[in-house]
Amino acid sequence: MNQPVRPPAPAAARPSRVVLVGYGPVGARFVEGLLPAVAAGSMTLTVLGAEAEDAYNRVLVGEYAVGRTDRQRLEITDTAAARAAGVTIRTAEAAVAVDRYRQRVRTGAGDHVPYDRLVLATGSRANVPRLGGLEGVGRVPSAPPDATGDLDRGRAVRPRGVVTLRDLRDAETVREVVGTRGRVVVLGAGVLGMEIALAVRDVGAEVSVVHTGETPMAGTLDRDGGRMLARAARRAGVEVHAHAVAESVSLRQTGSGAQFRGLVCADGTFVGGDLLLLSCGVRPRTELAEAAGLDTEFGILVEPDLRCWGDPDVFAVGDCAQVAAPGDRGPDGRVGGAPSGLLAPGWRQAEALASRLVAEAEGRSPVDRGPAPRRPHVVMVKASGVDVVAGGTVDVDPWDEAVDGAREVSQWLDPARGRYVRTVARDGVLDGFVAVGAPRAGAELTLLLERGAELPEDPGVVLRLDSAHEATVSSGPDDPAATVCWCNGVPAGTVTEAAAAGAVTVEDVGRATRAGTGCGGCRGRIAELLSCAAGAQAGTTHGHDHPDPVLAPA
Amino acid sequence: MTITSATITSATDTHCPYCALQCGMRLTPAGRTVEVAPREFPTNRGGLCRKGWTAAEVLTVGDRVTRPLVRDADGDLVAATWERALAVVADGLRDVRRRHGADAVGVFGGGGLTNEKAYHLGKFARVALGTSRIDYNGRFCMSSAAAAANRALGVDRGLPFPVTDLDAASTILLLGSNPAATMPPLLSHLQGARERGGLVVVDPRRSQTAELTAEGGGTHLAPAPGTDLVLLLGLTHVVLAEGLADEAYLGERTEGLRELRLSVNAWWPERVQQVTGVPVGRIRDVARRLAAGNGVYVITGRGVEQHVDGTDTATAAINLALVLGLVGRPGSGYGTLTGQGNGQGGREHGQKCDQLPGYRSISDPAARKHMAGVWGVAADELPGPGLPAVELLASMGRPGGVRALLVHGSNVVVSAPDAGAVRAGLGGLDLLVVCDFVLSETAELADVVLPVTQWAEEEGTTTSLEGRVLRRRAAVPPPGEARSDLWVLAELARLLDAPGAWPTEPAQVFDELARASAGGPADYSGLSHRLLDTGVAAYWPCPAHVIPEPGSRVTVEGDVVGTPRLFADRFPRPGGRARLVPVTPVVREPLGQRGGQLTMITGRLLEHYQSGAQTRRVPELLAAQPRLTAELHPATASRLRLVEGDEVSVRSPRGSVRARLRLSPGMRLDTVFLPFHYAGAECTNLLTEAAVDPVSRMPEFKRTLVVVGPPDDEADQEDLP
Repeated sequence: MNQPVRPPAPAAARPSRVVLVGYGPVGARFVEGLLPAVAAGSMTLTVLGAEAEDAYNRVLVGEYAVGRTDRQRLEITDTAAARAAGVTIRTAEAAVAVDRYRQRVRTGAGDHVPYDRLVLATGSRANVPRLGGLEGVGRVPSAPPDATGDLDRGRAVRPRGVVTLRDLRDAETVREVVGTRGRVVVLGAGVLGMEIALAVRDVGAEVSVVHTGETPMAGTLDRDGGRMLARAARRAGVEVHAHAVAESVSLRQTGSGAQFRGLVCADGTFVGGDLLLLSCGVRPRTELAEAAGLDTEFGILVEPDLRCWGDPDVFAVGDCAQVAAPGDRGPDGRVGGAPSGLLAPGWRQAEALASRLVAEAEGRSPVDRGPAPRRPHVVMVKASGVDVVAGGTVDVDPWDEAVDGAREVSQWLDPARGRYVRTVARDGVLDGFVAVGAPRAGAELTLLLERGAELPEDPGVVLRLDSAHEATVSSGPDDPAATVCWCNGVPAGTVTEAAAAGAVTVEDVGRATRAGTGCGGCRGRIAELLSCAAGAQAGTTHGHDHPDPVLAPA
Repeated sequence: MTITSATITSATDTHCPYCALQCGMRLTPAGRTVEVAPREFPTNRGGLCRKGWTAAEVLTVGDRVTRPLVRDADGDLVAATWERALAVVADGLRDVRRRHGADAVGVFGGGGLTNEKAYHLGKFARVALGTSRIDYNGRFCMSSAAAAANRALGVDRGLPFPVTDLDAASTILLLGSNPAATMPPLLSHLQGARERGGLVVVDPRRSQTAELTAEGGGTHLAPAPGTDLVLLLGLTHVVLAEGLADEAYLGERTEGLRELRLSVNAWWPERVQQVTGVPVGRIRDVARRLAAGNGVYVITGRGVEQHVDGTDTATAAINLALVLGLVGRPGSGYGTLTGQGNGQGGREHGQKCDQLPGYRSISDPAARKHMAGVWGVAADELPGPGLPAVELLASMGRPGGVRALLVHGSNVVVSAPDAGAVRAGLGGLDLLVVCDFVLSETAELADVVLPVTQWAEEEGTTTSLEGRVLRRRAAVPPPGEARSDLWVLAELARLLDAPGAWPTEPAQVFDELARASAGGPADYSGLSHRLLDTGVAAYWPCPAHVIPEPGSRVTVEGDVVGTPRLFADRFPRPGGRARLVPVTPVVREPLGQRGGQLTMITGRLLEHYQSGAQTRRVPELLAAQPRLTAELHPATASRLRLVEGDEVSVRSPRGSVRARLRLSPGMRLDTVFLPFHYAGAECTNLLTEAAVDPVSRMPEFKRTLVVVGPPDDEADQEDLP
């Protein structure tokens, strides 16, 4: 498998024919990057997409599934414009084999499409766990790449009311159940599982989440973060079953086949519902690459510049691509890491690869941006009213000095107000964070992590960003140095001095100091200062806050 | 008419010399100078800011240039007669032109010049010098907003409605603008929205204007520098996704909705948060507030426009306004706050490298024919498009570049990006001529300095931020031998045997300008000094046919002529619809933040104006802000072991400056703010890069990677990219 079919030949000088396999959101972004060059005639591009639909935004499929958005909002690419620019887009036509020796792709329709550069953006498919009652509905591991149906949906008939929420067809099923206020059971508490559960609840349907372990999103959040999320979800009305190992689905037979009626857990718990939504992770679609003799591990192995190991003419981007330096194998021969499963990194890859292929096709040397910095990925829960964002290394014991002396953990935990912020720094640089119920901190920490930035010396500054008092200015209103009139840069002290020198009205102060002679917005404040000064001059014992109206100037 | 002290006896109504608000002033003669008093006028309502109050001091500053100066054999600038100075200039220009061609002579104008001067400068370049190489400092100001408005709405008038319309707004989205410092009297027009809790300020720092959102005044969003475009796409995404768009308006008055929808679909709020640092909840709240209606305005400023994606960012702001159905609806709208005093008029009459008067394109054969007719030359003799400011300055002394430069009303060694390179370029010229009223840092480098009149010494017109044409009036005679730029250009035209007529009376030049603009987008053909002197409020376009016959009743104070509000029925584009131009952010690597690395943003202080050439000469203003300060968050400063008042150096790959540290909890942790008013070792533009927007050629002023640290520290440049 690791041996290329043909010796690595020098890459064709100009990638005049580019073939893209996969027309999901990452593929579509790649197409957009190539459009100008295709329109200019410096290359041709053929796209093979297994789905009949144009590329759409999978990130928002959950929102579509609960009816919070319409189909139009999922559209992210202008297929008609791409075709008009000269791109050949064949939807509902899967690539079933790659002949790297002849440099051509065989399609499901039996056609052969030649390439100089091949880009794989085959994405990933949802895992279907082994559960009693769902035998044969998951991926068939031995199926050949041309059996796309078997690969994605299994051979057995899936019971009604069991979906994976990966594509529009799944979403339509969810929409139906949610629309009739049916009850939804979500198996798995990763970010997608929690998002859909919160969204279903948000639109008014009943929902349960069933997950193993103590807390949700255990791969992303530390224990406290997970507990905060579970509490927030429960408060939102989501029923959460922790420590629950699903064993089988309970089905009832109807006139139109088997229908889901509940999930049975190993401890005997029965979680009833009208729809089972499987949210148990995804797996890259690597069959095509494997059959073509390309190196794969969890995903298709690509170098940091997205070239497949061992074939300079084939690339992979997005959910199917696992970035690793060649030879980066562990002692067991395996290559660590996995695709991020997030869209933003996939889009960055698509853009980078497109601009490079365009530069090559136009005979320019590509802009050398250097290897893309490897940043920890940030995961954010899309849900109204529940703010959870986290990234990087978070599960570090603050007391464990033995782990790594250079690592520091800081946290703010306030369950009563639903707020939790934790930062993990290594040598002063942010290494990971969790923010729950702290939107400003979460947003700023995201930027800091993505930039590999240093944390403030006192991380408390970030932990407290969401506290109500953080935004207020330092100088109090009674500070003589506090500016009263912005237009003329006049501080309160100068107004008070003017009053002491005999100014009685706001106009007097204006003539003496120009305060209040700009936009006029501070005239009320000047009047206040005048009345305070008058009070002080009259020798009252009242403080600034209690000017005596009787003693104020007429 | 020659102005002498005898002709000025009583108070003169005119406008402030500084920003585009053009506050109404009344000047009373007081010896060699005047006394300034505010006057009732819609923009300032009888108020003035500190700069306005002290404006008269610039008339009598100590280093006022009152005689022509010519550099002698020893390299010193010495006084000379006008005759000799003009001869040196004319000979030098002829010589450069003979040896290197017409395009070796460049002209650099300014947004502070009157309409008459701006018009004549463009005419002088094209007709007398025959050069295409003319551009101006407005390239650094308004070019992105102008390009965006032109392509989306078909015309670029900063505010297409009177400023006073803002008073009744319930929500104003103010993007990248700090009027509390730059044009304080405008705040009275934001007060209504503030009282209604609807002032939304987008600024990476908690500026004085952002501070106005406190205590229920509204909302402050502080995106990371350079991410405004993404924020706007996110707001538009929410409006469309939540069904808040004005579908009827979009259907009747716009085109391109489908493409726009596709482009913003990719920017859902969570993704926007990850790029901008603005929390999802705030994005949704602001979008909903904007969609709630009842008087909503979207306003942009330099903060979002002075970027390499400035045109696209302004376009995204326009798209948001269009999707909300604001543009051309009474009581709502989109606009940009023009900065310089005549920043509006300055961009209409031919100072731009690709432009002819009336805001016409120099590439349009019909426009060329029309202008050739007005100027009395053949259309094919008019040069084509030249180079925009950054490229024009970069070409100085280079093969095929400019070898002689005339500078009018601009201080490029302070205001242009990569100022160090500009200074070097000026040094490599065969001839540098600067027309100014003070010995600015640029004038100090000149071979010839020509003393010109300013503000209270001259007649003319300016066009304010709301497209209203205003009369500037003389209240005091010019000092020494200072003459108007109009006279200088006429004399040079004569010495260069230029074709055409070169009147020096501003009213006469205005009449020619009005004829030249007839039929163009910025049509002044119905206007004259005489009509403006009747006190009418004149908004362009104001074609001749809308003006009543002479002698009719258009003389009453307060009457309005022209077009106070644009777009009521149609957009001046083919088909009459506004165009939704889809824009996509170019993904830029986030700037680093280790060691002392920070993102520098630049801006203005209340006390100073632009390059500071005027305000640094006013003792009261200089005393209030005597030197460059670098504003930093206390936590960031503490990480860098710096405290308030420290002397620091700020470095970029292009240069370094010295500044005093000022701590401000309103700064973002990743950002340092430097005003750009100072010169020498405090010139902030030594740090900025001459990278430009591909459409507007606006330089990147507000996203520069710098390193802040102690001065004279051996910190090497290795931290820099």
